[in-house]
Amino acid sequence: MRYLRATSLEEAWSAMQEGGETARAIGGGVDLALFVPRGVETLVDISGLFRDCEDAPDGGLRIGAGLTLTELAESTSAGRYVGGVVADVLRRVASPLLRNLATVGGTLASAHPWSDVIPLFIALGAEVDLHAGEARRMALEDLVLDRAAMARALITHVQLPAAATGAKAAFEKFTRTGFDVGMLNCACYVVLEDGLCRTARIALGGTPDMARRVREAEAALLGRALDDETIAETAERGAEAAPARDDQRASAEYRRVLAAAGIRRCLERIAAATGGQS
Amino acid sequence: MKIRMTVNGVETSLDVDPGEKLLDVLRRTGHMGVKKGCGSGDCGACAVLFNGRAMNSCLIFAPKADGADIVTAEGLAEGDRLHPIQEAFLAEGAVQCGYCTPGMMISTADLLSRNRDPSEEEIREGLSGNLCRCTGYVKQINAVKAAARAMRKGKSADV
Repeated sequence: MRYLRATSLEEAWSAMQEGGETARAIGGGVDLALFVPRGVETLVDISGLFRDCEDAPDGGLRIGAGLTLTELAESTSAGRYVGGVVADVLRRVASPLLRNLATVGGTLASAHPWSDVIPLFIALGAEVDLHAGEARRMALEDLVLDRAAMARALITHVQLPAAATGAKAAFEKFTRTGFDVGMLNCACYVVLEDGLCRTARIALGGTPDMARRVREAEAALLGRALDDETIAETAERGAEAAPARDDQRASAEYRRVLAAAGIRRCLERIAAATGGQS
Repeated sequence: MKIRMTVNGVETSLDVDPGEKLLDVLRRTGHMGVKKGCGSGDCGACAVLFNGRAMNSCLIFAPKADGADIVTAEGLAEGDRLHPIQEAFLAEGAVQCGYCTPGMMISTADLLSRNRDPSEEEIREGLSGNLCRCTGYVKQINAVKAAARAMRKGKSADV
């Protein structure tokens, strides 16, 4: 096996091109350390690149793919963005030992259906900057479903959009401990304007399939006040529309109950943070 | 391939297989305080400080450590003088069977280097990547509290 610690994007891309199907890009290397797929001969370590995290000029957050989850959680920019939700959630992902090694880019590239980071970023409206010979940008929600695009590209940055005034977000996961792979997780992002919901993004992960938005539930929120009735109806829509399936961790039926509970808890927290449910 | 790293303050240059893990490199070069438990990032017995942060060395490809500063549990001590974390684990009986102890102390070192007065919840979170096969965590938590108290009193140099 060959291991290259890339010192520039050009060097990394050239090694990926040269290696073709036998080359894999890694960040912390956690997944590849556990299992190197047959035929992989070259590891291109890009964790030394893209280590910036900054407030974007438009008020969003631009996150370098090479940052570890700990570094992102500890960054002042992540601490400020939408009430600090990114930092709060990251501090509950896996264990400190893993967060100190795993990178943001690696977490997205691994695209585990049980990831806590992916539904959170989808709910926040994340876009991902890729390099595949040339730069391109994709919505995270589309990228995680497009294995072909992911396999032959390097993730360089995650772009979280400028949050509207009054934007709130919350996250909930169902595990016995933070270290466990959850039975389901849920992230909600809501913008209230004059007490009415103008924007809503609700993502469910670990269903057990890849995280995705549940637009049927979002539709139940739009234009309405975030009161008990709206929250209950949104949770019900979310449970109906959740792409729930049986696996060894939970039944589809139980996952629908969790989806409703996750959405309800997130929205109740958002309502409380906006100072009442009127 | 050749890598250079500093292990417990000693610069070292050695040949590694690119697919080899840092855990195995450290053990074969005599750093036996780095324990091999699960080998899959679950138990934390192999934790080392990698440029000051605690990580599972079983998940780190050896070439990644080229140029890195590595501290194992042995390296917390200064010569014959034990680190307050080591003293606290002994005094509180937190060593138990001893297998998870080095990893627990490394996680503690990372935690206390950033937070000299952690709450019990923060301590539990800080040790959440370290499993104890004796299944007892009370003494370790007490040891972290005792180490934090000792370090706040300035008994120790920085980790």
